[in-house]
Amino acid sequence: MNENLFSSFITPVMMGLPIVIVIVMFPSIMFPSPNRLINNRLISIQQWLVQLTSKQMLVIHNQKGQTWALMLMSLILFIGSTNLLGLLPHSFTPTTQLSLNLGMAIPLWAGTVITGFRYKTKASLAHFLPQGTPLPLIPMLIIIETISLFIQPMALAVRLTANITAGHLLIHLIGGATLALMNISAPTAMVTFMILILLTILEFAVALIQAYVFTLLVSLYLHDNT
Amino acid sequence: MPQLDTSTWSITILSMIITLFLMFQLKVSKYYFPEDPKPTLAATPKPVTPWEKKWTKIYFPLSLPL
Repeated sequence: MNENLFSSFITPVMMGLPIVIVIVMFPSIMFPSPNRLINNRLISIQQWLVQLTSKQMLVIHNQKGQTWALMLMSLILFIGSTNLLGLLPHSFTPTTQLSLNLGMAIPLWAGTVITGFRYKTKASLAHFLPQGTPLPLIPMLIIIETISLFIQPMALAVRLTANITAGHLLIHLIGGATLALMNISAPTAMVTFMILILLTILEFAVALIQAYVFTLLVSLYLHDNT
Repeated sequence: MPQLDTSTWSITILSMIITLFLMFQLKVSKYYFPEDPKPTLAATPKPVTPWEKKWTKIYFPLSLPL
Protein backbone atom coordinates (compact mmCIF):
# COMPACT_ATOMS: atom_id res chain seq x y z
CA MET A 1 0.00 0.00 0.00
CA ASN A 2 2.86 2.35 0.91
CA GLU A 3 4.83 1.62 -2.22
CA ASN A 4 1.75 1.90 -4.43
CA LEU A 5 0.74 5.28 -3.04
CA PHE A 6 4.03 7.00 -3.78
CA SER A 7 4.67 5.30 -7.08
CA SER A 8 3.48 8.29 -9.10
CA PHE A 9 6.28 10.38 -7.63
CA ILE A 10 9.16 8.23 -8.85
CA THR A 11 11.20 9.99 -11.52
CA PRO A 12 10.06 8.34 -14.74
CA VAL A 13 12.62 6.20 -16.52
CA MET A 14 11.57 4.21 -19.56
CA MET A 15 13.84 1.29 -20.43
CA GLY A 16 16.82 3.02 -18.86
CA LEU A 17 16.27 6.34 -20.64
CA PRO A 18 15.52 9.28 -18.39
CA ILE A 19 12.36 10.58 -20.01
CA VAL A 20 12.02 13.06 -17.17
CA ILE A 21 13.89 15.47 -19.45
CA VAL A 22 11.09 15.26 -22.02
CA ILE A 23 8.43 15.59 -19.32
CA VAL A 24 10.02 18.69 -17.81
CA MET A 25 10.34 20.28 -21.25
CA PHE A 26 6.81 19.40 -22.31
CA PRO A 27 4.92 22.45 -20.90
CA SER A 28 6.96 24.78 -23.08
CA ILE A 29 5.18 23.29 -26.11
CA MET A 30 1.97 24.83 -24.78
CA PHE A 31 3.44 28.30 -25.32
CA PRO A 32 4.21 28.79 -29.02
CA SER A 33 6.58 31.64 -29.77
CA PRO A 34 5.18 34.58 -31.70
CA ASN A 35 6.66 34.87 -35.18
CA ARG A 36 4.23 37.10 -37.03
CA LEU A 37 3.22 40.70 -36.75
CA ILE A 38 -0.38 39.63 -35.97
CA ASN A 39 -0.41 36.29 -34.18
CA ASN A 40 -3.10 33.70 -33.77
CA ARG A 41 -5.56 33.71 -30.90
CA LEU A 42 -3.65 31.35 -28.64
CA ILE A 43 -0.46 33.39 -28.73
CA SER A 44 -2.38 36.64 -28.38
CA ILE A 45 -4.25 35.40 -25.31
CA GLN A 46 -1.02 34.15 -23.71
CA GLN A 47 0.71 37.39 -24.51
CA TRP A 48 -2.14 39.37 -22.96
CA LEU A 49 -2.04 37.23 -19.81
CA VAL A 50 1.71 37.69 -19.51
CA GLN A 51 1.29 41.44 -19.89
CA LEU A 52 -1.42 41.49 -17.22
CA THR A 53 0.66 39.42 -14.79
CA SER A 54 3.88 41.30 -15.40
CA LYS A 55 2.25 44.68 -14.87
CA GLN A 56 0.79 43.44 -11.60
CA MET A 57 4.01 41.94 -10.38
CA LEU A 58 6.58 44.49 -11.46
CA VAL A 59 4.85 47.62 -10.27
CA ILE A 60 6.55 47.43 -6.85
CA HIS A 61 10.06 47.26 -8.27
CA ASN A 62 12.42 50.04 -9.28
CA GLN A 63 14.50 50.13 -12.45
CA LYS A 64 17.01 47.61 -11.15
CA GLY A 65 14.38 45.14 -10.04
CA GLN A 66 12.50 45.33 -13.31
CA THR A 67 15.42 43.76 -15.15
CA TRP A 68 14.22 40.53 -13.56
CA ALA A 69 10.92 40.72 -15.47
CA LEU A 70 11.80 37.97 -17.96
CA MET A 71 12.95 35.65 -15.21
CA LEU A 72 9.87 36.15 -13.06
CA MET A 73 7.47 35.74 -15.97
CA SER A 74 9.06 32.54 -17.23
CA LEU A 75 9.11 31.28 -13.64
CA ILE A 76 5.40 31.78 -13.11
CA LEU A 77 4.61 30.29 -16.53
CA PHE A 78 6.79 27.25 -15.87
CA ILE A 79 5.41 26.47 -12.41
CA GLY A 80 1.80 27.22 -13.37
CA SER A 81 1.82 25.13 -16.54
CA THR A 82 3.69 22.25 -14.86
CA ASN A 83 1.22 22.17 -11.96
CA LEU A 84 -1.83 22.34 -14.21
CA LEU A 85 -0.57 19.58 -16.51
CA GLY A 86 0.09 17.45 -13.45
CA LEU A 87 -3.63 17.34 -12.72
CA LEU A 88 -4.20 15.06 -15.71
CA PRO A 89 -4.61 11.43 -14.65
CA HIS A 90 -1.50 9.28 -14.61
CA SER A 91 0.77 12.23 -15.40
CA PHE A 92 4.05 12.95 -13.68
CA THR A 93 4.34 16.38 -12.05
CA PRO A 94 7.93 17.61 -11.98
CA THR A 95 7.20 20.14 -9.24
CA THR A 96 6.56 17.32 -6.79
CA GLN A 97 10.27 16.59 -6.95
CA LEU A 98 12.18 18.29 -4.16
CA SER A 99 15.25 18.35 -6.40
CA LEU A 100 13.58 20.54 -8.99
CA ASN A 101 12.17 22.96 -6.45
CA LEU A 102 15.46 23.25 -4.61
CA GLY A 103 17.18 23.78 -7.94
CA MET A 104 14.79 26.65 -8.63
CA ALA A 105 14.66 28.21 -5.18
CA ILE A 106 18.32 28.25 -4.19
CA PRO A 107 19.79 29.96 -7.28
CA LEU A 108 16.98 32.53 -7.46
CA TRP A 109 17.17 33.38 -3.76
CA ALA A 110 20.97 33.48 -3.89
CA GLY A 111 20.73 35.78 -6.90
CA THR A 112 18.58 38.27 -5.02
CA VAL A 113 20.83 38.18 -1.94
CA ILE A 114 24.02 38.59 -3.94
CA THR A 115 22.46 41.46 -5.90
CA GLY A 116 21.64 43.14 -2.62
CA PHE A 117 25.15 42.61 -1.29
CA ARG A 118 26.80 43.99 -4.39
CA TYR A 119 24.75 47.13 -4.86
CA LYS A 120 23.50 48.08 -1.41
CA THR A 121 25.89 46.35 0.97
CA LYS A 122 25.09 48.42 4.03
CA ALA A 123 21.34 48.31 3.52
CA SER A 124 21.26 44.56 2.93
CA LEU A 125 23.33 43.94 6.06
CA ALA A 126 21.07 46.31 7.96
CA HIS A 127 18.17 43.94 7.36
CA PHE A 128 19.60 41.73 10.06
CA LEU A 129 18.74 44.21 12.79
CA PRO A 130 15.27 45.77 12.86
CA GLN A 131 14.97 49.32 14.11
CA GLY A 132 14.47 50.08 17.76
CA THR A 133 15.61 46.80 19.31
CA PRO A 134 16.73 46.95 22.93
CA LEU A 135 20.50 46.56 23.34
CA PRO A 136 20.60 43.21 25.22
CA LEU A 137 18.49 41.54 22.54
CA ILE A 138 20.82 42.39 19.65
CA PRO A 139 23.02 39.23 19.50
CA MET A 140 20.05 36.90 19.70
CA LEU A 141 18.13 38.89 17.13
CA ILE A 142 21.00 38.78 14.65
CA ILE A 143 21.12 35.01 15.02
CA ILE A 144 17.38 34.77 14.49
CA GLU A 145 17.45 37.03 11.44
CA THR A 146 20.32 35.03 9.91
CA ILE A 147 18.42 31.79 10.40
CA SER A 148 15.29 33.30 8.90
CA LEU A 149 17.29 34.50 5.91
CA PHE A 150 18.85 31.13 5.23
CA ILE A 151 15.60 29.30 5.65
CA GLN A 152 13.95 31.31 2.84
CA PRO A 153 15.08 29.07 -0.07
CA MET A 154 14.34 25.92 1.88
CA ALA A 155 10.86 27.19 2.70
CA LEU A 156 10.24 28.12 -0.93
CA ALA A 157 11.21 24.68 -2.18
CA VAL A 158 9.52 22.63 0.51
CA ARG A 159 6.32 24.72 0.35
CA LEU A 160 5.85 24.03 -3.34
CA THR A 161 6.81 20.35 -3.07
CA ALA A 162 4.61 19.67 -0.08
CA ASN A 163 1.54 21.46 -1.41
CA ILE A 164 1.53 19.77 -4.80
CA THR A 165 2.48 16.35 -3.41
CA ALA A 166 -0.19 16.52 -0.72
CA GLY A 167 -2.84 17.51 -3.24
CA HIS A 168 -1.94 14.64 -5.56
CA LEU A 169 -1.87 12.15 -2.70
CA LEU A 170 -5.32 13.26 -1.54
CA ILE A 171 -6.72 12.86 -5.03
CA HIS A 172 -5.23 9.36 -5.23
CA LEU A 173 -6.58 8.35 -1.83
CA ILE A 174 -10.07 9.74 -2.23
CA GLY A 175 -10.31 8.36 -5.76
CA GLY A 176 -9.30 4.96 -4.48
CA ALA A 177 -11.83 5.24 -1.66
CA THR A 178 -14.61 6.14 -4.09
CA LEU A 179 -13.77 3.14 -6.24
CA ALA A 180 -13.69 0.79 -3.26
CA LEU A 181 -16.97 2.15 -1.88
CA MET A 182 -18.89 1.65 -5.12
CA ASN A 183 -19.38 -2.04 -4.47
CA ILE A 184 -20.26 -1.53 -0.82
CA SER A 185 -22.77 1.32 -0.82
CA ALA A 186 -23.54 3.58 -3.80
CA PRO A 187 -24.73 6.73 -1.88
CA THR A 188 -21.50 6.82 0.15
CA ALA A 189 -19.59 6.51 -3.08
CA MET A 190 -21.56 9.47 -4.47
CA VAL A 191 -20.63 11.56 -1.43
CA THR A 192 -17.01 10.59 -1.83
CA PHE A 193 -17.23 11.45 -5.51
CA MET A 194 -18.52 14.91 -4.64
CA ILE A 195 -15.57 15.32 -2.32
CA LEU A 196 -13.30 14.31 -5.19
CA ILE A 197 -14.81 16.90 -7.50
CA LEU A 198 -14.43 19.64 -4.90
CA LEU A 199 -10.87 18.56 -4.29
CA THR A 200 -10.05 18.71 -7.98
CA ILE A 201 -11.41 22.24 -8.20
CA LEU A 202 -9.25 23.09 -5.20
CA GLU A 203 -6.25 21.56 -6.85
CA PHE A 204 -6.72 23.72 -9.93
CA ALA A 205 -6.67 26.74 -7.70
CA VAL A 206 -3.69 25.44 -5.73
CA ALA A 207 -1.74 24.83 -8.91
CA LEU A 208 -2.04 28.43 -9.94
CA ILE A 209 -1.74 29.86 -6.45
CA GLN A 210 1.47 28.01 -5.70
CA ALA A 211 3.03 29.33 -8.87
CA TYR A 212 1.96 32.80 -7.89
CA VAL A 213 3.23 32.49 -4.33
CA PHE A 214 6.62 31.21 -5.43
CA THR A 215 7.09 34.01 -7.89
CA LEU A 216 5.74 36.62 -5.52
CA LEU A 217 8.15 35.63 -2.80
CA VAL A 218 11.12 35.68 -5.14
CA SER A 219 9.97 39.10 -6.23
CA LEU A 220 9.70 40.20 -2.61
CA TYR A 221 13.20 39.02 -1.82
CA LEU A 222 14.27 40.93 -4.89
CA HIS A 223 12.51 44.05 -3.70
CA ASP A 224 14.33 43.91 -0.41
CA ASN A 225 17.62 43.72 -2.18
CA THR A 226 17.40 46.23 -5.03
CA MET B 1 9.65 8.60 -0.18
CA PRO B 2 10.80 8.56 -3.80
CA GLN B 3 11.49 12.30 -3.87
CA LEU B 4 14.43 11.74 -1.52
CA ASP B 5 16.22 9.34 -3.86
CA THR B 6 19.17 11.52 -4.82
CA SER B 7 20.33 9.43 -7.77
CA THR B 8 17.85 11.17 -10.08
CA TRP B 9 18.41 14.66 -8.70
CA SER B 10 21.12 15.69 -11.15
CA ILE B 11 19.13 14.86 -14.29
CA THR B 12 16.00 16.54 -12.93
CA ILE B 13 17.83 19.72 -12.01
CA LEU B 14 19.63 19.75 -15.35
CA SER B 15 16.41 19.39 -17.33
CA MET B 16 14.76 22.09 -15.20
CA ILE B 17 17.63 24.50 -15.81
CA ILE B 18 17.44 23.91 -19.56
CA THR B 19 13.66 24.39 -19.59
CA LEU B 20 13.40 27.36 -17.31
CA PHE B 21 16.44 29.36 -18.29
CA LEU B 22 16.55 28.52 -22.00
CA MET B 23 13.27 27.47 -23.52
CA PHE B 24 10.80 29.52 -21.54
CA GLN B 25 12.94 32.64 -21.60
CA LEU B 26 13.47 32.36 -25.34
CA LYS B 27 9.71 32.15 -25.85
CA VAL B 28 8.79 34.95 -23.48
CA SER B 29 11.54 37.24 -24.80
CA LYS B 30 9.86 37.12 -28.20
CA TYR B 31 6.66 38.62 -26.82
CA TYR B 32 6.25 42.05 -28.30
CA PHE B 33 4.09 44.69 -26.71
CA PRO B 34 3.81 47.57 -29.16
CA GLU B 35 3.23 51.01 -27.77
CA ASP B 36 0.02 52.87 -28.41
CA PRO B 37 0.19 54.98 -31.58
CA LYS B 38 1.17 58.56 -30.77
CA PRO B 39 -0.28 61.52 -32.72
CA THR B 40 2.41 63.09 -34.91
CA LEU B 41 2.40 66.30 -36.97
CA ALA B 42 1.26 65.84 -40.55
CA ALA B 43 3.24 68.84 -41.83
CA THR B 44 6.94 68.17 -42.44
CA PRO B 45 9.42 70.84 -41.30
CA LYS B 46 11.28 72.87 -43.92
CA PRO B 47 14.48 71.03 -44.92
CA VAL B 48 17.59 72.86 -43.70
CA THR B 49 20.06 73.72 -46.49
CA PRO B 50 23.71 73.10 -45.64
CA TRP B 51 24.71 76.75 -45.58
CA GLU B 52 21.89 77.61 -43.16
CA LYS B 53 23.04 75.04 -40.59
CA LYS B 54 26.08 77.04 -39.57
CA TRP B 55 25.91 80.70 -38.67
CA THR B 56 28.97 82.21 -40.27
CA LYS B 57 30.59 85.53 -39.60
CA ILE B 58 29.66 86.99 -42.98
CA TYR B 59 25.98 87.23 -41.98
CA PHE B 60 26.63 89.76 -39.25
CA PRO B 61 25.47 93.09 -40.76
CA LEU B 62 28.20 95.07 -39.00
CA SER B 63 30.92 92.84 -40.43
CA LEU B 64 29.80 93.30 -44.05
CA PRO B 65 32.31 95.26 -46.10
CA LEU B 66 29.73 97.95 -47.09
